[in-house]
Amino acid sequence: MPEPTAPAAPQAVARSLRSDAIRHLLRNPVFVLSALVIIFLIVISLWPSLIASGNPLKCDLAKAQQGSQPGHPFGYDGQGCDVYTRTVYGARTSVTVGVCATLGVTVLGSVLGGLAGFFGGLWDTILSRITDIFFAIPVVLGGLALLSVVTGGTVWPVIGFMVLLGWPQVSRIARGSVITAKQNDYVQAARALGASNSRLLLRHIAPNAVAPVIVVATIALGTYISLEATLSYLGVGLKPPTVSWGIDISAASPYIRNAPHMLLWPAGALAVTVLAFIMLGDAVRDALDPKLR
Amino acid sequence: MLLEVRDLHVEFKTRDGVAKAVNGVSYGVDAGETLAVLGESGSGKSVTAQAIMGILPSPPGRVTAGEVLFQGRDLLKLKESERRKVRGAEVAMIFQDALSSLNPVLSVGDQLGEMFVVHRGMAKKDARAKAVELMDRVRIPAAKERVKQYPHQFSGGMRQRIMIAMALALEPTLIIADEPTTALDVTVQAQVMDLLAELQREYNMGLILITHDLGVVADVADRIAVMYAGRIVEQAPVHDIYKAPAHPYTRGLLDSIPRLDQKGQELYAIKGLPPNLMNIPSGCAFHPRCPMAQDICRAHVPPLDQLDNYRQSACHFWEECLDG
Amino acid sequence: MGRYLIRRLLQMIPVFIGATLLIFLMVNVLGDPVAGLCGDKACDPATAAQLRREFGLDKPVLEQYLTYMGHLFTGDFGTAFNGQKVIDLMSTAFPVTIRLTVVAIVFEIVLGLGLGVLTGLSRGRVLDTAILLLTLVVISIPTFVTGLVLQLLLGVKWNWISPSVSTQAPFSELIVPGLVLASVSLAYVTRLTRTSIAENRRSDYVRTAVAKGLPRRRIITRHLLRNSLIPVVTFIGTDIGALMGGAIVTERIFNIHGVGYQLYQGILRQNTQTVVGFVTVLVLVFLVANLLVDLLYAVLDPRIRYA
Repeated sequence: MPEPTAPAAPQAVARSLRSDAIRHLLRNPVFVLSALVIIFLIVISLWPSLIASGNPLKCDLAKAQQGSQPGHPFGYDGQGCDVYTRTVYGARTSVTVGVCATLGVTVLGSVLGGLAGFFGGLWDTILSRITDIFFAIPVVLGGLALLSVVTGGTVWPVIGFMVLLGWPQVSRIARGSVITAKQNDYVQAARALGASNSRLLLRHIAPNAVAPVIVVATIALGTYISLEATLSYLGVGLKPPTVSWGIDISAASPYIRNAPHMLLWPAGALAVTVLAFIMLGDAVRDALDPKLR
Repeated sequence: MLLEVRDLHVEFKTRDGVAKAVNGVSYGVDAGETLAVLGESGSGKSVTAQAIMGILPSPPGRVTAGEVLFQGRDLLKLKESERRKVRGAEVAMIFQDALSSLNPVLSVGDQLGEMFVVHRGMAKKDARAKAVELMDRVRIPAAKERVKQYPHQFSGGMRQRIMIAMALALEPTLIIADEPTTALDVTVQAQVMDLLAELQREYNMGLILITHDLGVVADVADRIAVMYAGRIVEQAPVHDIYKAPAHPYTRGLLDSIPRLDQKGQELYAIKGLPPNLMNIPSGCAFHPRCPMAQDICRAHVPPLDQLDNYRQSACHFWEECLDG
Repeated sequence: MGRYLIRRLLQMIPVFIGATLLIFLMVNVLGDPVAGLCGDKACDPATAAQLRREFGLDKPVLEQYLTYMGHLFTGDFGTAFNGQKVIDLMSTAFPVTIRLTVVAIVFEIVLGLGLGVLTGLSRGRVLDTAILLLTLVVISIPTFVTGLVLQLLLGVKWNWISPSVSTQAPFSELIVPGLVLASVSLAYVTRLTRTSIAENRRSDYVRTAVAKGLPRRRIITRHLLRNSLIPVVTFIGTDIGALMGGAIVTERIFNIHGVGYQLYQGILRQNTQTVVGFVTVLVLVFLVANLLVDLLYAVLDPRIRYA
C-alpha cells in the first residue's frame, strides 16, 4: 500500500523500534490497567497480610455458608472459613503456579526449540516428532492421568506437569522464530565474518527471536493459572491445606444453588487474574508487531 | 479532455499526525494520449491515481478538496453505486505487483470472467470463453489450457499480462497503470510495456502511466507530469522535457540516469531525502535539496507558471533552469 | 498428492506410538493398576500378586505395551477390571461425546465465524471493541466456572434447561453443554477470524477487486472471506480432537455419560485398560482430524496443492 511514510535515516528506524514499542505500550490503557492488576496481585501474593488480617485456615463451622457481614465482606465458605481471606491468600498459589510453570516452560521450550531451529538436521526432526506427540495428548487428560498417581497436592507436581506438557508449545514458536532470524542478512554476514555459533545465537539471533516467545509466554501464564484451577476442580490438582481458588471453587460447586457467593468470589478473582495476563500479552503483541498498528 | 483532475487534495490521518499526500494536483489526459506521471515514492503520484479510481484506503485517506472530471462528470460527486459502475468498465487500473494483486485462490479465468459476469451480466460459461479470448489478446500462449490455472503458476511477465487483460476486459476509455513494469525483469519490462502501448493505440484509450523510471517514459509517453511532495512541479511534452527541463528537480532526475557516453564519471544523485509529508518544508517543498534555492524559495510557494501553450513549471527560477 | 498423503500417514505412526506409549507408561508405571481393584482398602499382597499375574502385569512394561497394542489391532480393547468390555463402554460413551462435539463445532462455526466476520469488517468501531473484550473475558474464565454459572442461571434459577443431562443425551439437552465446551475455542475463532479478515482487507487483491468495480457483497464473500477463512478452518479442524479430549470438565458439570466421564472414572479407579483404550482412540481421532485439515487446506489454497 503506497501509504505516505515519513522518511527517516535507517539507523534511526532501527533504534526507535524498541523505544517505540514501549511508548506505544504506555499509551495503551489496556496495558496500563492489566499491568496495575498484575503488580497488585504480585504484591498481595508476597504480603497477603497487607490487606487481609485473618488466617485463611482458621474456620468456624458454625458460620458455614453464611453471607456477607461486617468485617467479612465476602461471607463464609462451606467450612466456615472467611472467603475474603482465602481469596486474598489464594492469589499466592495462582501466581506461584503461573510464574513458575511459565518460567520452566519458557526456559525449556526456548532452549530446546532454539537449538533445534539453529542446528537443524536430525536433532530438529526428532524434536519436531516429540513435539507432535505431546500435542496429540489432550492437556486435561494428561493432567488427570499423571497427577492422579502423584500424591501430596502441593504446587510442585502441578508445576512439573505443566512444564512437562507445556514446553512443546514454546519450543515450536522458538524454533520458528530462530529459523526466521537465522535467515536474516545480518546473521549471514556475521557468520561470513567468522562469528562463532554461540556468539551468533546469543548476540544476533536470540534478541530478534525473543519477541514471539515473550508474547506466547505471557498469554500462557494466564492459561496455566486457569489450568491449575481446572485440575483442582477435577480433584487431581492442589489439595487442602493449600489455599487455592481452584480448590475453593471446586468445594463451593455443590452449594452453588444456596450459597453462590462461595463460588463467585474466588471465580471472579481467578477470571480477573487470567484476564490481566492475557490482556497484557495481547497488548505486548500489538506493540511488538508494527504491522498491526 | 477525457479526464481532468482539478486542484485535488488528499490527506492521510496517521497515529503521528496528518500526512498531506496530495496538495492541489491538476492534470488531464485525452483519448489516445499517454500521460506519464513521474516522481519518487511518496510524491503523491499513486495516491492521486487511487483518488481518481475511488480506491483510497479510507480511513486513513480522505479527499479534502478538488474535482475529478471524467467525460464531464465529477466522479467524486457520484454515489458509490454509480461510481462502482465506472470502475473497471470505463476507468481501469493496472497495479504494480501482479502476484499480490491477483487473488491467490481463484483461477485467472474466474478473475477475468468476473468482469463480464458482474458488469455485463454474462453467464459463467460465456465469461470463461471471453477470458480465453482476452488471454489470447495479451498473447499468453495456450490460453485455453491456462485459463484454469492460478496466479502463482504464471511467470511474472505473464501475470502482468493477465492484469492488463483484466483492465482491458470491458474496453475502458481510460487506463491507469501504476508502475506496471517495476516488479519485472528488465527484459520482460520492454515486452509488457510495448504490449500495453500497442493495445492503447488499438483501442484509442487514454493512459496514465505512473512510474519513477524515466527510461520507460521516453518511449511511450506523450506528455510528462513531474510530481514532488504532492504537487506537480513541471508538466510538458516529453521531448521538451528531455531537451531542457524547466525545474531543478526534473533536471536532477534526468541527471541521475546513468549514461553510456559518460562512463567512468561519478553518478549524479539529488542530495538530501524526500520530504516528510507530515511536515512539508515551507515555500517550495524542494528548496532544501535544490542547488538553485534562494531566499524567495523558502518563503513563497512558486505558482505553476504557464511557459507556453504546452508547458508548465512551478519554479521561481524556471527561466534560469531552462538556460541550463 | 498421493505421495504427500503417504508421507503424512507415515509421519503419523511415530506420533501415534509415542503418544499411546506415553499414556501407557504414565498409567502403568507411575500408578498401581491393581490398587483400585479391592475396593477402598488396599489389596493384601497375595491377592495383588495373583491379580498381577492374571492381567500380565508382572511382565516388563514394554512387553505389556506390545501385547496390548497387538490385541488392539485385532479390535480387542481389553476388559475393564469390573468385567465390562472396554469396547462396550466405548460404544455407549463415544456417540454421546461425538454429539456434544458436533454441537460445540456448530457453535464455533456459526457464532465464532459470524462474530469474527462482523468484527473484522467493523474494525475499530464500538461493536468491534465490545465483542473483542467479551472474547477476552470468555477466554479468561475457566470452562468449569462458565459451566457452573450457566448451569446455575439457566438450569436452576430460570429453569430453561435441565441442569443435568439424561443418559440418552439427545441433541436438545446438549445445547448448553456444547456451548460451554465450545466457549474458549469460540472466542479464539472469533479473534482469529477478525484478525484474518482485517489483514486481508488491506491486501492488494482486495484493492484489485474494488478497482474492478465489483459490488461490496461480492468482494466480501468471493474475495475476502475465501482467503480469510483458510486459517480459521485449520483451527476448527484441529480443535475437534482437543474438544473430545477436553470434554471431561463439561461432562462432569452436566453429568454427561460420555468419553470424559468414562475416562474420569477410569483414572480415579486406576482402570488402566479403560484409560489407555479411550486415550488411544482420542489420539487417533486427533491425528486423523489433523490429516483431514491438511488435505482440506490443499483444497482451499491452490498454492499448497501444486507446491
